[in-house]
Amino acid sequence: MSKTMALRVFGLNLVKTNRSLLQNACKATALPAGQTVAEASYATEVTVHASPAAIQKQKVSKAMKAYLKRATEHDEFMKTQHLEFQIGKRHLANMMGADAETFTQEDIDEAISYLFPSGLYDPKARPAMKTPEEVFPARKAAEFDETGRPFHSMFYTGKPNFFQLLHEIVEETNKLYELEERMLRRGIKPDENQKLEIAGFQVLPKDQLETQLVESIADIEYTNFSNSMDRLIASPYAYKSKAFIERYLKPLMDQSKQLEVPKPKIDEQGRQYITTYECLRKTARADVTVRMPGTGKISINGQDVSYFEDENSREQLLFPLNYSELLGKVDVEANVEGGGPSGQSGAIRWGIAMCLRSFVDQEMIESMRLAGLLTRDYRRRERKKFGQEGARRKYTWKKR
Amino acid sequence: MAVFYRIAIQSSIYGCRSMSMFPKHFGDPLRKKDMEDLNKSELTKFYHIPIKAALNNHSDTVFSDEIKLKMMNYITKNGNKALARGLLSRTFEIIKRAQTERLHLSPTDKQNVNTNAEKLLIEAVENSRPLLQLTSIKRGGVNYQVPVPITKKRSYFLAMKWLLDAAFEKDKKVCLPERLAWEILDAAHGQGRVIKKKDDVHKQCESNRAYAHYRWS
Repeated sequence: MSKTMALRVFGLNLVKTNRSLLQNACKATALPAGQTVAEASYATEVTVHASPAAIQKQKVSKAMKAYLKRATEHDEFMKTQHLEFQIGKRHLANMMGADAETFTQEDIDEAISYLFPSGLYDPKARPAMKTPEEVFPARKAAEFDETGRPFHSMFYTGKPNFFQLLHEIVEETNKLYELEERMLRRGIKPDENQKLEIAGFQVLPKDQLETQLVESIADIEYTNFSNSMDRLIASPYAYKSKAFIERYLKPLMDQSKQLEVPKPKIDEQGRQYITTYECLRKTARADVTVRMPGTGKISINGQDVSYFEDENSREQLLFPLNYSELLGKVDVEANVEGGGPSGQSGAIRWGIAMCLRSFVDQEMIESMRLAGLLTRDYRRRERKKFGQEGARRKYTWKKR
Repeated sequence: MAVFYRIAIQSSIYGCRSMSMFPKHFGDPLRKKDMEDLNKSELTKFYHIPIKAALNNHSDTVFSDEIKLKMMNYITKNGNKALARGLLSRTFEIIKRAQTERLHLSPTDKQNVNTNAEKLLIEAVENSRPLLQLTSIKRGGVNYQVPVPITKKRSYFLAMKWLLDAAFEKDKKVCLPERLAWEILDAAHGQGRVIKKKDDVHKQCESNRAYAHYRWS
């Protein structure tokens, strides 16, 4: 271990490390070969061993030379990029009249969107200025020594980090299986209290796994990864390798807490009220005000429920009120325009449900969310396609 | 996917049409009944799943029922669902009136007369659900009528289709709600054309049981 040293990723002091690598290699004495120690972070560090003294005197391999050349080139490139970024940042700070030393990335984004306003739809297509590390993704460091021998036994698979990970997962799984069998023989059951809770987690998505491994993987390989992770997690003793599993899990957002519930205001009559603007459904648009306490009065564009002629729309309007058991306890005022009856009542339904959150407890909010009342229904009519009868339906086709 | 969702919301605000469906990872909305059946640990699983918006014909009242909604859809012609809804509610009214009349005519067995029209519809559909179906399978150049078990969904579909077919077949001078009401009442009591049709299908399947092995060989 003492003879191993870390080779940082391209761009991060690579020249220095490479120089010291060579020096180290010259100084190094014999070391048991094939001792690889790679920590979980594949991208930031790759361990390099000093080669035995016998090989030291050999020439540096062509591959290593090419690599070193590439590394220095890349390092210089990154250096200039850094310099340019710093200068750009300084200019921006001057233009915005701020201090260049304390100019943060957020300030940069703000300045760019102010100085270069863009009407482009995709945020990725708009002008941006970021640190070179973010713009140019991390690259792998040398995977072979001066003689051209790869460090990793799975170097020739092309994706050593990925297959190493698969091996590790299977090793962990086998360890747990063995443990399970031993415990079964002894008649000990797994601890229920320590059971691994993964309800709020998700196995790392493909793109994130790729950045972590610094390797691009195929879809089927990702499926293999997620399947073997599932197998590991399914084991009753999964809590024994919690630390390992958690490295490849991503926490999920709690859905009901994503939207902040607004505090109700007080009107001149001393009643609590809350207004939701921009309630949208299909092409309808509505503003909904809910007042508490009330007598169950509903007014839509100045009319009562009879504004809607069909029963379905009326029923839809009352759905959230009925569901939260506040029917007859609140007053509803709505202004709605555009769209047909179904869309209008859908817009008002969503508005009422959003308003009612302020008058019910957290459990009810979650219940309403699960009933599908708090989701904005953004579905629109699908367009008709040419060569087809409608959005999906095809013309009848007869061969002869 | 979350990104798609955000884009979809944005696009709907700016009036640009892009999405016509919810993404795959969205869950279906739950009914209050289902939520009560689930225990707490099962419910916590849903905390992290985004839920689709409830459909515009959903409502969680005591009157809402899946079979009722399906029946309404099957009655609908040319997308005129409001009319179908009216027809079905008229059917329920006729059933209710007929049953109430029966209740008053025979005060002795009050327990035996069901006046709940919605319950009667469900009962009628359950009574007329087939278990098996004949499908023709070609083996050795000969078509055999082979009895095949059908799925739950299809059995419900067939039951409702037969009820409606029987109603449409009747005299054209009488309006649909009346014809349908009588069919439902008959089926709920285990008699009438629909039940006979179901029994016929079962009988045919029984007589063709010798061919049953052609399903897999």
